[in-house]
Amino acid sequence: MTATLTPKDFATATPSWWCPGCGDFGVLSALKQAMAELGKQPKDVAFISGIGCSGKISGYLHSYAFHGVHGRALPVATAVKLANRDLTVIAAGGDGDGYAIGAGHFVHAVRRNTDMTYIVMDNQTYGLTKGQSSPTSATGYVASVSPDGNPDTPLNGLALALAAGASFIARGFSAQPKQMVAMIKAAVEHRGFAIVEVMSPCVTYNKINTYAWFKDNVEDLTVRDGYAPNDRLAAFEALTRDGDIPLGIIYKEDRPTFEDRTGLPEMPIARLDIRRPTADYAAIQAAYR
Amino acid sequence: MILNSVEVMFGGQAGDGSLTTGDLIAGVFKRMGLEVYTYKDFPSRIRGGHTNYVIRASENHDYGMADAVDALVAFDLEAVETHIAEMRPGGFVVFDNTDEAIPDNVRRDDVTWYEIPLAKIAKEMGLELIRNTISLGVLGALVGMDPEIVRHDVRGVYQRKGEKVVDLNMRAIEAGENYVREHFADRPSGYGLTKGIDGDRLIMMGNDAIAYGALVAGCRFMAGYPITPATDILEWMSKQLPAFGGVVVQAEDELAAITMTLGAAFAGVRAMTATSGPGQALMTEAIGLAGVLEIPVVVVECARAGPSTGMPTKTEQSNLNHLIYSGHGEIPRVILAPGTVGESFELTTTAFNLAEKYQLPVFLLTEQALCQSKATLPPFDVDAVQIDRGKLIDSGEVVFGEYKRFAFTDDNVSPRVIPGIPGGMHLAPGSEHNDGGVITENAANRARMMEKRMGKLVSMRDDLPRAVLHGVADADIGIVGYGANTGPIAEAVDRLARAGVLTRFLQLRTLWPFPEDEIKTFFGGAQHVFVVENNYTGQLERLIRAVVGPVDALQSVRKYNGQPFRPIEIIEPIRRIAAVGTPVEVI
Repeated sequence: MTATLTPKDFATATPSWWCPGCGDFGVLSALKQAMAELGKQPKDVAFISGIGCSGKISGYLHSYAFHGVHGRALPVATAVKLANRDLTVIAAGGDGDGYAIGAGHFVHAVRRNTDMTYIVMDNQTYGLTKGQSSPTSATGYVASVSPDGNPDTPLNGLALALAAGASFIARGFSAQPKQMVAMIKAAVEHRGFAIVEVMSPCVTYNKINTYAWFKDNVEDLTVRDGYAPNDRLAAFEALTRDGDIPLGIIYKEDRPTFEDRTGLPEMPIARLDIRRPTADYAAIQAAYR
Repeated sequence: MILNSVEVMFGGQAGDGSLTTGDLIAGVFKRMGLEVYTYKDFPSRIRGGHTNYVIRASENHDYGMADAVDALVAFDLEAVETHIAEMRPGGFVVFDNTDEAIPDNVRRDDVTWYEIPLAKIAKEMGLELIRNTISLGVLGALVGMDPEIVRHDVRGVYQRKGEKVVDLNMRAIEAGENYVREHFADRPSGYGLTKGIDGDRLIMMGNDAIAYGALVAGCRFMAGYPITPATDILEWMSKQLPAFGGVVVQAEDELAAITMTLGAAFAGVRAMTATSGPGQALMTEAIGLAGVLEIPVVVVECARAGPSTGMPTKTEQSNLNHLIYSGHGEIPRVILAPGTVGESFELTTTAFNLAEKYQLPVFLLTEQALCQSKATLPPFDVDAVQIDRGKLIDSGEVVFGEYKRFAFTDDNVSPRVIPGIPGGMHLAPGSEHNDGGVITENAANRARMMEKRMGKLVSMRDDLPRAVLHGVADADIGIVGYGANTGPIAEAVDRLARAGVLTRFLQLRTLWPFPEDEIKTFFGGAQHVFVVENNYTGQLERLIRAVVGPVDALQSVRKYNGQPFRPIEIIEPIRRIAAVGTPVEVI
């Protein structure tokens, strides 16, 4: 038996490149804590990230980590899971990575409902390119490429996910680690595609959506009277109404995964013996005679 | 009279069933013991627009179209107008004159005309679509198809639709045969095929051979986005992979298709995608990622006429530059190009071995004129297929801290663990990294990593498929080409030899890393070298010029109208330069 895991078992020797105070530190800590509490072995975790400040997170989680191209974490992660369904597969990236350049993959990964977790670290700005508007920046947000204010309407990623048929939707705030750990654990244990959006303040470029601002503008749904995360309309109402930003597990539904619908065998494809006896090909070849 | 050789063109409007009938004709010829090659020329639409299906059958294995069409079955005037110039003198036209007549300016006196109200007869039989089968009866009677085989194959196609449909089709064949007997007894076609022995052979399309090759090579994951002319591969794999424990994903776009392929390969599965020009363009960034992360992926490019949407259903060899040079930064990559359906299978299996052995992207480059063409060929020996997974560590464990995913080694290939292996945890970053996968911009490491990755192109040299030399090894006249042009060029070599012009043909099968040594050797002693390719700018020729320097010997034979070469188009320029030999008969 292996000893009880601690967050330290998921630490890497690589020093972080994030700015002091970055919200992403909270996400990383919560992730390590969740993995340890779930008893996941680092060797069995595939962690795929996108590009941007948040994309760097894959370098800081001891696991089989993949830091690919901008916007494509989800298709990579989807395939890793299908290739080896014994792995715990987690994808992570920022609001730009997931909701702008990767938005196409986002809705289709949701539809596909592969058994994996996706963490969107939303700081409502482009950090690594030094502070431009992102898909979730507020209208009017003043940034280097929108000096007169962001002209676009912010994207509601979770409402989009719900519309696309998401089976698990949650939102956290990186200053509330306990809730984040619980949510990430629930997301990983959810059978299907689980999205966890984390409000992760950028202390360097986003002077509007700060820690203080969030504290005044979030509402914990789990303490709201009568809120049950199994009602799609209620979830849509919570996600789209004006007012405080809802936190917690917003929606959860058990429905068949891509693996279920395609009849993917339990045996991981990566462990198949690909050398097959000649007889296995006879029928295929005979059809061309 | 031409013995046991015929090129049939079945022409009409897309959606009128001529492709199904074309397949039937090809099957009948095969079962009569003839060698068959087919070429589909269809528009990029589902209903309407001129389409034709060429079926060439002969005792020789000619891998491409003939110089001219022997028998044109035209369902409308457009088919005649479009192709009458391609008819061989002495050939014949079957024309459906139900609604249209042949105008005098279209009619040629040196071909035989069989004008038959096919649609009218079909209507009288109660089903307009049956016109195809009636025309099959007509064609069979005119070229000498074995009536029993025709009936056997038609039954095979329609059996699942019930006995009523089969009966109707049987009567339709007979109606066609009878019409010829009753109306044209005094007008022989001049053609008469002889039945031989079918033997143990297959008839297969290039794309099917690629997909089958991938399956036998152990590919168990495919992601793709539908695109002509590559979709056949995705469809084939969707049908076959699940039974082998694998999975196919229809991706939301080519960006997803290629990154999924990377993901599956990263996880240790032999993985592939297939696309064509526009999709290949979208995959470019991720191919670079495969290069820098040293992930083995196989990317099939079924080239079509570009740029942009271009002509999606037409053939071209204009994507070679793209495959070699696309992408920012520099990565090692391999491009293999099969020249036949058989090689499509063989080189696909090679592609997977090279990809895994050297941990890099391997392109299999084919073109519409090959990948959507069918040919007869001997059965594949699947036992002969070797699977070499290189330095893959997919069992046991490694020691964390000692194991380096991107370790520097003598052959520049690092041991590759897959997720799940104890001790192998690491970061695979698209950013430059050190041997352990840690991101670094250290100058010395950068230089060393570049040399490691690019050095694999040298390590692999002996494993790359060699070019095939056709013709007379010491002939003064050389020809260089690849892919779908292999058939027409090889045929040109044979026919020139019969006319007294000796040539040799270097069929390139590895296009990248560019086979400089083979090219240099081939140019030795050559008075003239013809570079045959389907593009405007001479993409292959430029690569050759970069190797051989300024030479007078080089001649270009290029075609870029979306159509494949007919052999005479290669024969003529060579015969003119050779200035010897007798005129070559048009076949």
